[in-house]
Amino acid sequence: MLRYLVRRAISSVAVLVISVLLVFLAIRILPGDPVLAKLGAATEVTPEALALMRKEAGLDRPLLSQLLSWVANALQGDLGTSYFSQFKVTELVVNRLPVTFELTFFIILFAAIFSLILAPLSVRKPGGALDRAIGYFTSIGLSIPGFVIGIVLILVFSLKFQILPSRGFTPLTESVKENLQLMILPSITGGLTATPYLVRYLRASMLEIKQSPFIRTAEGKGLSGSRIMFRHILPNSLVPALTMLGLIVGYTLSGVVVIEYMFGLPGIGSLAIESAFKRDYAVIQGVALTIITLFIVTTFLFDLLCGLVDPRLRMNKEEKLEA
Amino acid sequence: MVLAIVTICLFCPWIAPRDPYEIGASEPFLGPNKTNWFGTDDLGRDLLSRILYGGRITILVAIAATVIALIIGTAWGLAAGVRRGWLDEALMRTADATMAIPQILFGLVCISAVGASVISLPIVVGFLLSPTTARMARSAVVTELSSQYVVAAQASGFTRTRLIWSEVMPNIAPQLLVQLSINAAAAVMLEATLSFIGLGIQPPNASWGTLMLQGYAKIWNTYWFVAFPALAVTITILAFNAYGERIRKNLDSRKSTVNE
Repeated sequence: MLRYLVRRAISSVAVLVISVLLVFLAIRILPGDPVLAKLGAATEVTPEALALMRKEAGLDRPLLSQLLSWVANALQGDLGTSYFSQFKVTELVVNRLPVTFELTFFIILFAAIFSLILAPLSVRKPGGALDRAIGYFTSIGLSIPGFVIGIVLILVFSLKFQILPSRGFTPLTESVKENLQLMILPSITGGLTATPYLVRYLRASMLEIKQSPFIRTAEGKGLSGSRIMFRHILPNSLVPALTMLGLIVGYTLSGVVVIEYMFGLPGIGSLAIESAFKRDYAVIQGVALTIITLFIVTTFLFDLLCGLVDPRLRMNKEEKLEA
Repeated sequence: MVLAIVTICLFCPWIAPRDPYEIGASEPFLGPNKTNWFGTDDLGRDLLSRILYGGRITILVAIAATVIALIIGTAWGLAAGVRRGWLDEALMRTADATMAIPQILFGLVCISAVGASVISLPIVVGFLLSPTTARMARSAVVTELSSQYVVAAQASGFTRTRLIWSEVMPNIAPQLLVQLSINAAAAVMLEATLSFIGLGIQPPNASWGTLMLQGYAKIWNTYWFVAFPALAVTITILAFNAYGERIRKNLDSRKSTVNE
């Protein structure tokens, strides 16, 4: 187990390092000057003033030294200062994280509920009418951009029936009821986007379990269909689905970017978009680092969780790695 | 279906009933009617024409991005699959890392650096789609290289270049075609998403994503405005995905008959 853990950790860190490098390089190498962007094209700028500002922002130093000092600071929790406002990037990110976390939590909750209903229905009679209908639903779901689902929900629940608000945010500490009301549509939007992936995966693993001998035994004992489904098939297929859930949590953390933006929620996703408009590279870099780290850490933790819950998985993976 | 959508969008100047840029040609916020089949937008422009022209931009961006992804990805995967060893390891770890960066986020970073235009968008989207293509190409190449005809070709003294171009490439072409179709769907989705958050095609030009952004801002006035482009995007992505799925199915059934 320890060896598996160490290997898994090393490869996670490697992926993290490479992706951070990529983001850093993308910003530096691509044309587009943050200093010019800050000054704007309207004012005439002397080359001296430009050079001075570059120096202040540390942009005149060699790339490697910029990278090293940024990484060193980031490790101490300092992501630099916004080029535009004088806020610390870390502060901006930390202030916005709770909203993103809350949204992600609800999205996963809805996705889990939807898939736990749809997958068993689908497996009951593989190839049956219901199974095929759910199959179509997932294919279509995979093709609809998340924000289109959001638009449809707004049209139905905010415009037609006027029962749910479509924009805005109230902190949980101010009013729990308002906060939850505002969270419903964004969460369902995200949940519906994630559901097709989860249903497909869960269905496949449930079908596999359904073939195994212990299900035949259960049938032979004369257990009822629903008891077999919920006491035998479902719990056993949840473990493989956990890995997928980890991936989905990761994707959701990034998928919330658009959802936060369209529903006007002040999370790190909308922070990323705002700073992209302003070309505030310090903030974008910080947000990118945060989201990537969260993504890698969640997938890693979920993998560990699977290994803990199901020793068989652990063995297989170790063997595969050694092969 | 795919063909129909692409043709209609590319030949939009001959098909579109009205000038998509003519402001105030009709009343703003009309619902669907006889002259404006899909209604009009906030400036009285004909929505059907705007969607057709928007489709041209969307489709062109998607095609360009797909081609870029195919070239980068295939080269990437070929290099890893043929060379193996440390290069393989390095290239595939890079692919993993690139995939770990959420596409939208990386798109944001790139677009904010270079600015959004009809040129930059396909390049960024194409680059974003290349790691998945690389992974697929690599696994296809590795499978082919271990098959018997490759051993036979090696035995008869083929050079590596000839082996790859005349033996391996034609054999992985169908799989690349599947990936091409999936990529096209993903490109449409990415472009629409980036444009929808305002970092894609800029007005007065408009892709479907841009139209949806404009329509979304006016959702309280009329829902036709946002609904039609949304429908167009969804149908197009669905068509590309379904096409890819069909080729894959044909491929699988052919494979299974060969094995028998």
